[in-house]
Amino acid sequence: MTEEEDYDHIMGVLREERITPYNEDELETVLSIGHCINCGLCLQHCPVVAGVGVERFSGPRSIAVELSRSPPEFWATGDKVFLCTGCGTCREVCPKNVEVPEIVNMIRARIFEHRPDLVPQELHSVDKTLLEHGLAFAPWEDLEDKAESRDMRLERLNLPFYPNRVKERAEVLFYPGCQAEERAQEVREAGKVVLEAFDVDYTLLGDFNCCGLPAILLGDDKTARELAKHLKEKVGALGTKKIVTTCAGCTSNLSYLSERDGWDIPVYHTLEYLIEEIGIESLTEKLTQSEDTQSVTVHSPCHLIRHMSRQLAEYAAQIIEAMPNAEYTESNLHDSCCGGGGMVGYHSPDVAQGVVEENLRAIERTGVSRVVAPCPLCTAHIEEMLFRTGSSVEVDDLTVFIAQRLPKKE
Amino acid sequence: MSKTDYDVIVIGGGSTGTAVVRDSAMRGLKTLLLERDDIASATVGTCAGMISSGFKYYNEPEFMDMCTDEVMHLRKIARHIVMKLPILFPVLDFSEISSGGVSKGMEEYAKRVERRGVPPFLILAPEVALELEPMLHPDVVASGYIEEFFIDPFRLSVLQAMDAKKHGADVYTYSEVTDLTVVEKEGIGVSYHNRLTGQIETVKGKVVINAAGPWAHKIAKLAGANLDLRLTKGSHIILDRRIVNVGITTRAVDRRWVYMYPHENTTLIGTTDLPTWENPDELVASHDEIEYLFKSFEWIVPSVREARIIRTMVGVRPMIPTWKVPEDEVSRSFEVVDHEPQGVSGLISFTGGKLVVCRRMAQDAVDLACEKLGKGLDCRTHIEPLPGMEGDVDILGLSEEHSISQHALERMRIRRGTEVQEILNLVREYPEWRSSMCTCEPVIEAEIRYAIRNEFPHTLNDLRRRLRLGTGPCQGTFCTFKAAAILAEELELNGEDYQLEIMDFLSERWKGKRPPMRGEQLAQEELVQGVYACVANLDQTMNELDYDLKPWEEVS
Amino acid sequence: MDLDTDVLVIGGGMAGLAAGIRSQERGANTTLIRKGQSATSYSSGAIDVSGYLPGGSQQLLSAREGIEAITSLYPLHPYSILGFGSADNDDVPGLAIERVGQAVEWLTKHLKSTPAQLYGGIDSNLEGITLVGTKKPTALLQQTIWPGEFAVDDEGVMLFLGIKGVSDLNPKIASKTFLDNQARTGEPPHKVGNASLDIAPFGHGYNLSTTNIARWLDREENLVTFIEQVKKKAEQFGATYVALPPILGLEENLKNQKALQEATGASVFELLAFPPSVPSFRLQRGLERVFIEKGGHLLIGHEAEPCGIESSKITEVLARSPRRKVEITTRSVVLASGKYIGGGLAATVEGLRETVFGLMTVTDEFRESGKTRPQRLTNVVSLSPESHSLFGCGLSVDQFLRPVNPDGDATAENLFAAGSILAGYSYAMEKCGLGVALATGHYAGETAAANATGGGV
Repeated sequence: MTEEEDYDHIMGVLREERITPYNEDELETVLSIGHCINCGLCLQHCPVVAGVGVERFSGPRSIAVELSRSPPEFWATGDKVFLCTGCGTCREVCPKNVEVPEIVNMIRARIFEHRPDLVPQELHSVDKTLLEHGLAFAPWEDLEDKAESRDMRLERLNLPFYPNRVKERAEVLFYPGCQAEERAQEVREAGKVVLEAFDVDYTLLGDFNCCGLPAILLGDDKTARELAKHLKEKVGALGTKKIVTTCAGCTSNLSYLSERDGWDIPVYHTLEYLIEEIGIESLTEKLTQSEDTQSVTVHSPCHLIRHMSRQLAEYAAQIIEAMPNAEYTESNLHDSCCGGGGMVGYHSPDVAQGVVEENLRAIERTGVSRVVAPCPLCTAHIEEMLFRTGSSVEVDDLTVFIAQRLPKKE
Repeated sequence: MSKTDYDVIVIGGGSTGTAVVRDSAMRGLKTLLLERDDIASATVGTCAGMISSGFKYYNEPEFMDMCTDEVMHLRKIARHIVMKLPILFPVLDFSEISSGGVSKGMEEYAKRVERRGVPPFLILAPEVALELEPMLHPDVVASGYIEEFFIDPFRLSVLQAMDAKKHGADVYTYSEVTDLTVVEKEGIGVSYHNRLTGQIETVKGKVVINAAGPWAHKIAKLAGANLDLRLTKGSHIILDRRIVNVGITTRAVDRRWVYMYPHENTTLIGTTDLPTWENPDELVASHDEIEYLFKSFEWIVPSVREARIIRTMVGVRPMIPTWKVPEDEVSRSFEVVDHEPQGVSGLISFTGGKLVVCRRMAQDAVDLACEKLGKGLDCRTHIEPLPGMEGDVDILGLSEEHSISQHALERMRIRRGTEVQEILNLVREYPEWRSSMCTCEPVIEAEIRYAIRNEFPHTLNDLRRRLRLGTGPCQGTFCTFKAAAILAEELELNGEDYQLEIMDFLSERWKGKRPPMRGEQLAQEELVQGVYACVANLDQTMNELDYDLKPWEEVS
Repeated sequence: MDLDTDVLVIGGGMAGLAAGIRSQERGANTTLIRKGQSATSYSSGAIDVSGYLPGGSQQLLSAREGIEAITSLYPLHPYSILGFGSADNDDVPGLAIERVGQAVEWLTKHLKSTPAQLYGGIDSNLEGITLVGTKKPTALLQQTIWPGEFAVDDEGVMLFLGIKGVSDLNPKIASKTFLDNQARTGEPPHKVGNASLDIAPFGHGYNLSTTNIARWLDREENLVTFIEQVKKKAEQFGATYVALPPILGLEENLKNQKALQEATGASVFELLAFPPSVPSFRLQRGLERVFIEKGGHLLIGHEAEPCGIESSKITEVLARSPRRKVEITTRSVVLASGKYIGGGLAATVEGLRETVFGLMTVTDEFRESGKTRPQRLTNVVSLSPESHSLFGCGLSVDQFLRPVNPDGDATAENLFAAGSILAGYSYAMEKCGLGVALATGHYAGETAAANATGGGV
């Protein structure tokens, strides 16, 4: 046998025995599972388990302890592991901070590779879009329609459209994320309004592509790595010093990629940029009075508070409280999933619904007129879920809510 | 023939003893198995489960042939509990491959690979080895590659015993032989202590086959026969999770071979080999043994100490009595000893042997027994499958049909093959028995009840061998009280025995956990104390109830 | 990200939260960081203060009796340290009892308006009944776990009522065990029954958890059917006591218990359960709620970065969350990071270490344990009143609860330690875990606040 034949044989055996060697950057996660002492605190706190029961979703402990069992059995977890919303509650309550959300992604990746038939069909469709367009959603066929939709949204929200800027060596790269790029275009524009208001030297990407989070969540590790690679090249070519994004998922994923792939560029959510770089005093100075007093509660995205830091929820509250006529009320479940996590809604809407129900009830209990979320995806999900329950509470993206209260340029 | 008269009485319920009772019963002989504890509770219960090609035994080509035959037989009769594992032999210096008999081993190995359906000994470039196993030292210069097969040693032994019962044999566990009386021309009277009733009972066998492993010399002595054994202690470290993708073998500090195998949801590192004269029940792993294994692997898997250690396990090998040679020069083959020349007719013993040849050992011994009995009966153990091999199991379909998670079913299938159906029948009758009882793997209540009703366990430890209960990282923290309650219900234990059952199981687990206690297992142990001492207050049970100290607790 | 605080508490279990609440009450701005939840989240619903003396087999009649004996027999036990006080204090037992007693009353007061409302005190130990049918001595029980007093001539029937699919309680075996133990000691009640309820919150009666049922019972609409089922079983057995797994609710347990007692006429209560249990959830949440209400800053998901102590004062601690870092400037630090579960202590084969500041660790006999192989600190018997030295290891502290160095001096003048990170007791064996955590946390909070606001202990 030649060396190539040997190699092919060995890879064939691994395939047959369904062994996927761990990548080097996965080893830390693998070792983190070893800290699990099976206590089950995560199970008690898991919102999916609370929503649909252990029978439907066996929960984080099971994922950490049972499902991460020997490689040959990864496939047998297909009926459970795609139901995790990736909210990160398990890691946060765990005395050992076991990286269950990362383990979920690893297991999904193995199922995607070895048993794609067990990956929900709806996720394959998303994957196809990612492969074809480098975006999480199919792009608009007609760019004029896209502009028209954007303008309608801006008009309704009373926000201006500033021309797109693409330039090298700007201070900041503004990365809106797929949702704001293709769907909630008002959030993309609001981000620009915020940056313009403080005369930030920023640029957009000439050719936008997804950060790869959806690919990670559905298990297509290869595509995720491809997308991350493209993005790194584009960011490198632009030569910016910082990245600012309006999306919670993008913030957390870009922060991760920046570290893993050595981008050497800090990533900020708009909230962080405003508090840490602009400063609450400068922001307060510029915030203008809106027409009527608003009672507001904030929804805290999982990707911001649990995959980054809980301090960010406090930043959001700080900003609302700085607004002249906004009254801030905290929902006791402000930190619970919007129903859109982990791409669960794509294939198991009943589970997504089960997860978000308590959250919606808590929002109603606050008695506010508006809920804002520092993420266009969370915003869209909460809006849809509240609408279905016939609620009168209105929903806004936090960046939009801020932009509306900032001075506009001529 | 009276009820207590047997053609063959087998002493010892390890892999060999259960193979013997199966073989003997299948040939139509009236057979009894007496085991002092539980099936697979000693040597075989502490092995890695490899059914070896005999790579290391290149100086014994006939034995290598036998190993190859037996691997093929086991793959035929027990396919559902056999799996394949690639094994690397990574080296930091080429001389490790070119010296020490490795090339001779490669040559002998290559002669037999075709029959096993695997490639010859391959030598991989370092980048290929690292791709297969990123945990290896980055400076490896090359790696050998072989493929071996593994079997679940507990299930093999239990299935052999179950199959023997199906063929009419009696299998008595917790029956410790106390005396053997040779009655000229009639056979041997066997007295045993029934540990469940406390009674001494007597049976008679025309032939007695002594498969008592590390106690075989003591059994022989009861009949006035002499049996020499070279006993060695072998310890394993069990790590949490599969920290390696494939098996790894390397040279230990003293040039012996040691290995690291992913096994179920753990990684096994083994073994040591120390001459021993201690009572096997009292042995625990020593600090030196643990360090010996870590030190030996550190060169090739530098991060090995970062992994969490769950426990250690210790067994005693009954080797062929060759003296004044190093351990690796002692033949790994076996001998069937006929004690007739010593004046003890009707007694047959074993020395040596390996898991892989347990069926063949049985065949040779039963052949001899048949000769003594004057019966020409043929062995069929290599042809007839073991229970659970009646076809494929459609996990996805069954999961849908019975509302049990795919993973729970897949784990069940790996233990039981087509027997899964029997458990699903129970679930149909008692829907609530779908509940998972173990946090380390999804063992459902129905399987526990099924095992108690059909596989003659008497303690939680016996259940552990049949179901892997309490073998995961938490070592029974969360299943012990639940499983003990089910056992208590099924066996109608009283409340005190229920509490003692919990204590006994925790004691047995502690025996293996204690020697390597460090790292995250401390947190696990704090939790064990939290559950069973702090909340359940069972630490006070010691004084209030009649807790018997275990052998290893007594000696210290 | 930067933060400034008077008192920084590291660890969010009973000790940390008691310290945080107390410190906030004493006028110091307090920030509490915790990485995950802790061993307090593993509690059973009982607040043990002193159930047995170290190594002892005689059940103590009261925590007061226990503390008194401990302070005279074990001078370095955390309770004894609480009794030291100033140099002229000649009544160590008296001061220790006073401080523990105050802390217990203080906690009872604070938890009164939460679902974790408590019953009991240090003057008489209660006997909690567990899921496996055994009993344990404890100072306080959550109100919904308290079965009520048994009269000496009690002719009542205790019904162990399980729920199909909740595997924590096997009512048949628990009732058998309870009865056997009662028969041995001759204590009432002497009659038991067992039954199971059919409840299917998700449409099936298997693989259910106590938390599932508790959440379900928090919704008023589910209570009616539940009461009906319990009532039917209680009548069938003529039960005067109904023992349930801890399922009465995360929020509405007190109300639900009352409704059930009214409907059945029996004492309806929850059994002490294994971790993590619904009552521990109630306790953890109750404590956090009080801390936040007092104005404390709770920063979840942040872990203190290991650092050395370079001067006599700790002024800065770096906290790390999954993808961010926070620099915290502080005037006092309370270290309540727990034992092995909480991660305050860790061990390699080389020995034991304290994980944040690298403080000196000692064995239960107060010998340095930095170079002791953990296995040497264990006994051959797993579960016994001997326990294991390993679980008595931790920090040695001065009378202000400041960890000391090998010379016996405070390692840093503004660093205080509380809870299970302290050496000298085995909580699982002595049944004193939350009691020590509470009393030392309460005192550490006071001293840390005084140090931060008044400049010195």
